[in-house]
Amino acid sequence: MAQEVGTVPCVEVRKVSKTFPNGTVALSDVSLTVRRGTVHGLMGANGAGKSTLLKILSGAHTPSGGWLLVNGQEVALSSPVVANRAGIATIHQHIPLVPTLNVIENIFLGSEGIGRLPLGALDRFQTLCGHIGYETDPFAIVGSLSIGVRQMVAIMQALMVGADIVLMDEPTASLNENEREIVFRTVRTLATGGTTFIYVSHYIEEVLSLCTFVTVLRDGRVVLDCAAADTDAEGVIEAMTGRRIDRGSARNAATIRDGAPRLEITGVSTAAGVRDLSLNVHAGEVVGLAGLLGSGRSEILSALYGADRRVAGTVRVDGRLVGRGTGAAVSAGFGLVPEDRWAQGLVRQLPIFGNVTLPKISRHSFWSIWPQRESEVATTEEVIGAIGIVSKGPHGLVTELSGGNAQKVLLARWLAARPEILLLDEPTVGVDAAAKADILALVRTFAEQGTAVIMVSSEFEELLHVAERILVVRDKAIVATRVTTETTVEELMLLADRPEKEARAA
Amino acid sequence: MREAASPANSGVIYALVFLVLALTILSDAKGLPSYLSPINVSNVFDQVALVGMLAVFTTVVLISGNFDISIAAIGGLGAAITLLLVDELGVAGAVLAAIAATSAVGMFNGFCVQKLGINAFIVTLGTLTAVRGLILVITDGRTVIADDPANYKRLESFVDGFVPAPALVGLIGIALIAVSAVQYLLTRRYQGQVGQNRLLLAASGAVVLLVGLSGFPPVRLTYSTLYLFGLVGTVWIVLRYTIVGRRLQAVGGNPEAARLSGISVDRYRIVPSVLNGSVAGLVGVIYSARLGAVDPSALHGFELTAIAAAILGGTSLFGGHGSVPKAILGALILIVLRNGFNMLNLGSNYQQLVEGIVIVAAAAVYVIAAQSASQGGRH
Repeated sequence: MAQEVGTVPCVEVRKVSKTFPNGTVALSDVSLTVRRGTVHGLMGANGAGKSTLLKILSGAHTPSGGWLLVNGQEVALSSPVVANRAGIATIHQHIPLVPTLNVIENIFLGSEGIGRLPLGALDRFQTLCGHIGYETDPFAIVGSLSIGVRQMVAIMQALMVGADIVLMDEPTASLNENEREIVFRTVRTLATGGTTFIYVSHYIEEVLSLCTFVTVLRDGRVVLDCAAADTDAEGVIEAMTGRRIDRGSARNAATIRDGAPRLEITGVSTAAGVRDLSLNVHAGEVVGLAGLLGSGRSEILSALYGADRRVAGTVRVDGRLVGRGTGAAVSAGFGLVPEDRWAQGLVRQLPIFGNVTLPKISRHSFWSIWPQRESEVATTEEVIGAIGIVSKGPHGLVTELSGGNAQKVLLARWLAARPEILLLDEPTVGVDAAAKADILALVRTFAEQGTAVIMVSSEFEELLHVAERILVVRDKAIVATRVTTETTVEELMLLADRPEKEARAA
Repeated sequence: MREAASPANSGVIYALVFLVLALTILSDAKGLPSYLSPINVSNVFDQVALVGMLAVFTTVVLISGNFDISIAAIGGLGAAITLLLVDELGVAGAVLAAIAATSAVGMFNGFCVQKLGINAFIVTLGTLTAVRGLILVITDGRTVIADDPANYKRLESFVDGFVPAPALVGLIGIALIAVSAVQYLLTRRYQGQVGQNRLLLAASGAVVLLVGLSGFPPVRLTYSTLYLFGLVGTVWIVLRYTIVGRRLQAVGGNPEAARLSGISVDRYRIVPSVLNGSVAGLVGVIYSARLGAVDPSALHGFELTAIAAAILGGTSLFGGHGSVPKAILGALILIVLRNGFNMLNLGSNYQQLVEGIVIVAAAAVYVIAAQSASQGGRH
């Protein structure tokens, strides 16, 4: 069956190379064929060239060599508009919708005409909904929708302009399991109807189950190009990294710990809606917070860290009461790696060393007035070496780093600060498989050095890998506690997911 | 020091040098007295003093991620209060009252922006209007003068005088050497990497000191200019060499990241607003001391020149990046343009047109330089 669907070449990339003016070779001699009506997965580590290839296909970059064929015709995609006319639409990781407009206005944003909406817009919208098998309120304001629904709106927008080739760049990075399922179902339905997808993602299992064919890039070259059925996750990882990665599911048995806990939280409530939260964590323990997007897991971390105002309850570190606000938390030995590294973590104007020493700069200074650059640089050199950050060194700019390395800078910040308690909010989102493994290993290192770690993740597999205890979060509260050795991803999904299922039954 | 010579970093210096050169050549060609005559140089610096002092804290407020268009009105308030009260409270009392009042307005700005979350442009637009109104109320719409000439004489003594520029240049040289010496003493522990920057700083300090000792430049600077240099030097050292400067940059560049690193964003945004009010009040005091008479529209338009100077100096309107010495160079460019137009008799009708073009052109250079820098780096 699958072979019959995907026999006609739709997009052909022939010997394409791309060299940037500064001499960076992003792609060399890349050839691949995408067949009509298939979902074609494109994978590679950060910097492997997949974004560049996607930009060439979407008309944002022009190739330095080679040529492209769409439906057998040679095309020069000199700009995104030209690509659109050739039937190619791109859906980016960060969805460029107008949050103050409603769904249908966003979908018809690019259409011409004088009216706010073209004639018959609602009918065309309903037809499209029927076609892709997805219903949503056309008059809901986009800003009030969940990210998953926005992603669907973006797909509908692409289809409405008549695209029959859709490029998707990490479309599910910020989606929860249910939202992903919606997107996948739609992609499958549309592919059966003849739409072609080129699908870029870090999630290997996801790509293998969704896609008919996969292509893996490494260092700007094609290193694997085959039917998805002919390979597996290990094969893809090996192609991506050029080495074998141990994906053994070694779990950490919960150790019985005597003595007082390092972190004691009693009856904490915050203005952001956390109610009566109590929790103890011991030195050297890794506790996982398993919750879906919107479950309130970030709010719980904010409550502990004092980033949201506490209205009741106490937080104690080694028995000492921690005052209000982030300043008190940091002095008490807390550290936080926030969910959005660019919006909440890094200061673009400061060099790497300035970002690393930001919370504890007084330690690298005289009389807490005069920063001691040599000390800052020496410490930064040490931690970026220990973590393996690929950079120009401590004086480099954070804006020059890839996603995985930028995330590692935030971990380096706290490795340098040596916190007693480390809170991690989705530390592996949007980083490649190798960086992910490094980050998870680092989390264990923190614990071995005696730090109490609380880590939030949407990938429960990951929590099972690093944590000893997993707390399931729903509605801004802890609803279940499981010891890692006695639970499974499936059980955690069920526990985290229940309200939505109830809502559906009702 | 790495990319110090690039247009994005030093464009303002090139622009100023080019402008002064052009004016010198033009004035020679026209047979006028040299543009660089001691008297004219002294004049230019004196004209820069007030707007330069405003530009210093405008830059600080911009770095902290805020915005303030009310400083000229606040300065006007300071000037009016000084002259209204100098007869009753004496010079010290009047100056203190003026600065207390203007600091309070700065505090109000900071509080509304930071604690109530009102947009800074709207808050300071309101303050600007209300403070101008307040000046009208307290002056009854008339020009204010000190009734007792003796009081005015005492006030004037703060601005009425000159210092030889070589003495100031020499002091700057000594200060640079002192800074590098302190840095050396503090960093002896890291002997492996005795910084080139430190040697360079000491060497340039020595050169500057020698220049001063040789009696160059043969110019007398006014007290106002001296105050400007004092303020610039202090603020520059705080921003460049202290933790306060680093944290201010972090707060302006990414307030959420700063907050989550335990830095008090409120403090690092409200304090610059308060000091901005204090310095504006000081500018008002100097203004009143120089003129002896203050009308309700005193210092009108100075806020826009101060913001323009900060932009010419490469300060970002979005926070996290800026330089106080370069803002002063920016102010110098604007004042040299005005002064040049007057000297060469080019017609003041064109002056504002050219000023406007210079501001937009400077902003364009920074944007293009930043874009090409980011393209030259990673794709």
